Amino acid sequence: MMRPSTTVFSLVLAVALVAADPSIVVTGQLLAYQDGFVFFTTGDGFRVAPGVVIRDAKTGAATKLSPAPRIWARATFDATGTVTELDLSRAALPPEGNFADVMRFAVAASSPAPNPDLLAYQNLATPAPGGGLPAGVSYSGKPVLVTFIVQVPPTTPLTSSVYISTDQSAWNAQAIPMDRIDALHYEITRRYPSGTIFNYLYDRGSLQSEEIAQNGLSRKPRKFVVPDADVRTVSDTVYAWQDQVPGSINQQQPQIMPTPYNPAPFPNLPPNLPPPQPPGNKPPI
Amino acid sequence: MLMLILASAAARAQTTPTTLLYLNAKSINFYYDRFLLEADGNVRLRTSDGFTVTGDAFSMDLKLNRFLVAGHVTVHDASGTVSGAAISDFLDFKRIYFVPVTSVPDRWTFLNGDLVHPAKGRVMPDDAFYFPPITTKPDMTGTGAVVGTKSYVRFIGAVAYVGGVGIPLGSNVISFSSNQYLAQNSLSGATADITWQVAGSPNALTALHLRYDPTYKVYGSVEQHFVGDHEYAILSVNPATRAEKWWNAMLYEKLGSRFQIQSFTQYYAQQNYLQEPRAAQQTTWINATYAFPHSYVTATSQLVNYNVLGPGSLEEPKAIGGNLSHPSFAQITANSFQNKIANLPLYENIYEGYGFAHDTVGSQQYLNGFAQYPQYPPVQVPGLQSYGALCAYQPPTKGNLQYFCPTYTTIYNTVLGFNLFTPSLKLNHPDSPYQQYYFNASLNKQRQWNSLPHYIDNTNTTLTISRQPSRSLHMYAGYEIQNIGDHYINGGYEQCTGPGTTYCPDSFTSFRGVATLRTTSFGFNDVPSPDFNFSLLVRHHEDFPIPVPGLFAFPANNILGQPLYSWWLGQPPYDATADVRFKILPHTLADISRTLYWYGNPYRAQYWQQNFVIQLLPI
Repeated sequence: MMRPSTTVFSLVLAVALVAADPSIVVTGQLLAYQDGFVFFTTGDGFRVAPGVVIRDAKTGAATKLSPAPRIWARATFDATGTVTELDLSRAALPPEGNFADVMRFAVAASSPAPNPDLLAYQNLATPAPGGGLPAGVSYSGKPVLVTFIVQVPPTTPLTSSVYISTDQSAWNAQAIPMDRIDALHYEITRRYPSGTIFNYLYDRGSLQSEEIAQNGLSRKPRKFVVPDADVRTVSDTVYAWQDQVPGSINQQQPQIMPTPYNPAPFPNLPPNLPPPQPPGNKPPI
Repeated sequence: MLMLILASAAARAQTTPTTLLYLNAKSINFYYDRFLLEADGNVRLRTSDGFTVTGDAFSMDLKLNRFLVAGHVTVHDASGTVSGAAISDFLDFKRIYFVPVTSVPDRWTFLNGDLVHPAKGRVMPDDAFYFPPITTKPDMTGTGAVVGTKSYVRFIGAVAYVGGVGIPLGSNVISFSSNQYLAQNSLSGATADITWQVAGSPNALTALHLRYDPTYKVYGSVEQHFVGDHEYAILSVNPATRAEKWWNAMLYEKLGSRFQIQSFTQYYAQQNYLQEPRAAQQTTWINATYAFPHSYVTATSQLVNYNVLGPGSLEEPKAIGGNLSHPSFAQITANSFQNKIANLPLYENIYEGYGFAHDTVGSQQYLNGFAQYPQYPPVQVPGLQSYGALCAYQPPTKGNLQYFCPTYTTIYNTVLGFNLFTPSLKLNHPDSPYQQYYFNASLNKQRQWNSLPHYIDNTNTTLTISRQPSRSLHMYAGYEIQNIGDHYINGGYEQCTGPGTTYCPDSFTSFRGVATLRTTSFGFNDVPSPDFNFSLLVRHHEDFPIPVPGLFAFPANNILGQPLYSWWLGQPPYDATADVRFKILPHTLADISRTLYWYGNPYRAQYWQQNFVIQLLPI
């Protein structure tokens, strides 16, 4: 026979259990809804109650939406970890609850096993500019201010515009215009999500005026991985522009000097100036 | 031709691994700003890795090179079929993450393409099954797509959206390859160009262009790219829909780590469709470079044939065009690397070259008019190669043709030059870096001896002082002296007649072929954030000969309206260029610039650059 105090305690406990809402609510984006399970984009699958209630997340009324990939859902779990209600929306729902609280309800046939791919790179330093992205490294994607400073050849005209062309913009030669900061340097600051990988080259506005390597050959694009940092400065040196290499097609030919009849680079001298003359005005044959 | 074959063969043999993904779905959308490919409804994906996936939704980040199929997924390969909730393939890392649903869900990881032995229960990356948030409308839709990973996506039943209006294209290729050779193009500039890339692969791209320029108006062009890791071949005809056709071939090959050769050939034909040309010319430019440990040698040659039509094509009365000039030049030049001079804050590089130019005046040099047709009188040919020759004597005739003054048809030259420059030198040592001044100086000197006898001197000296007064501000002041001398050992420039007249202003009376341009510059730019930029460049020129308004024609601009030349004789003594860039869309900057030119006293004339230069730039 129970003592009165024990009976009272049991009743209070029962009332407290009944009064406390045992359900847990989380929001997330659906990955799949099939075979009696609902899957979120975390990859976790949860059992769905046979009579699961499906509602519109905004109005709480019935909805024509069906649980499907890309749909956002507010999921209500009962004490056993079964999803009893799904409130659906095409638009992202404000965060609610914490997936950590329901992870124990996720159904998986196999026990979790460590992933060496992830462990190997947990404490890896950010790769230096020019370094590749190691396999398995993940970045937060936060915006990072990246400043590019390039030293150009001393033959670069003071009025020249310098650009960065990248594979992000299909190698558009005028994709990223830079600002001159002194006789030899140009600079530009852009914001990129960390983890962005891009290949790039400097040019003077066209593919014909692209940078070349110091050894005169066309150079491989530079590679840059945006690190998980607040800011990053990248300093490069351009040794020569393709269209300025001595001896190239732009080699000065006799007829391009400022004789009155030569069209370039003086397309504009007055037409009545006489041509250069030899002594005695005789043909030097 | 050999280079073309090499480039094509190498392009085919390229070893860069590319997985092909064949995608079909009820709807396929492409988002250009983030290179996202999204598909929904009856998704079916076949991969060249040997498996097929079906599902409800597909998402691929083309840049990250990974895809996701979710909802009622089946994975089928030679070993059988498995059902699941989602599969995600990280192609670069050879990891496939799969959520199978047998009796209950599970987590399997397929390693290195082994679909038979999954690693069960492995922890997966947190974002393995995430859909990217999409807030914009698609830029392109299609009913099918073929993805060549890391290089291109070809849409089937493509519809491109411009300003919300759909343009059906059928097949359309979007290239996102990191191979910069795919961006090489052999077309001349145009005012406007709409490109339709109809076919493509990791190593090839076929594009049709609808273009406009003031000369040919609206016309179509065709361009074909073949690229490899170390070579490319670009072929085009532009315009393709006009009688004046320019056939272009750009070839490039890098052999080993020290040698490269490239060429550009342009064949001009005036012909209706592909009928017999009424005129045809050809220009070929070849350049080869060999790199040494601390220097390199480059050889360049250009050959021009103004008449490719064959014998008799110039003979009256059945002349169909062209002339007999064959301008050509060849030059070989040795260049040193940049070297530091002892322990001085000074760097140098030198270069020396030898070469010749033949018939470089080009078209109309020898042949002018026809002896038996006085209505086409001979015209005096000025220029260096008729140096001193007013053609007072009667040139010999050959048939119906007259040949004029073939003087100095070949001019040999020797070039010697050097560059000397300082890195940024600190002028003071303040506590704050924002009070730091830097100094830069550079000198370029070159002399070219010609066999004319004649030599050309170029000297260019630049001095700048710069400072960054705050995080966002940069400013510099510069002084540049450019001296170009055209020196004749005998004879040379004569004093122009009628001093003080329109065509012979004062400074021209003493002009003997040596021009000096002195430029003082002040540059300023303010970049408070990556989304906004303002810059200003003010310059003052003190030039000889003195620029006189109206005397000098303005130099040509590029198709954007920007001057093609950084300096020219007759440039107004003052100019100021303002440029502002600001963000107008999440992934687009607008860039607006304009220049004001004025002559100061005594002319006081001024004019604006003919229009604002407005560009839209990707972020």
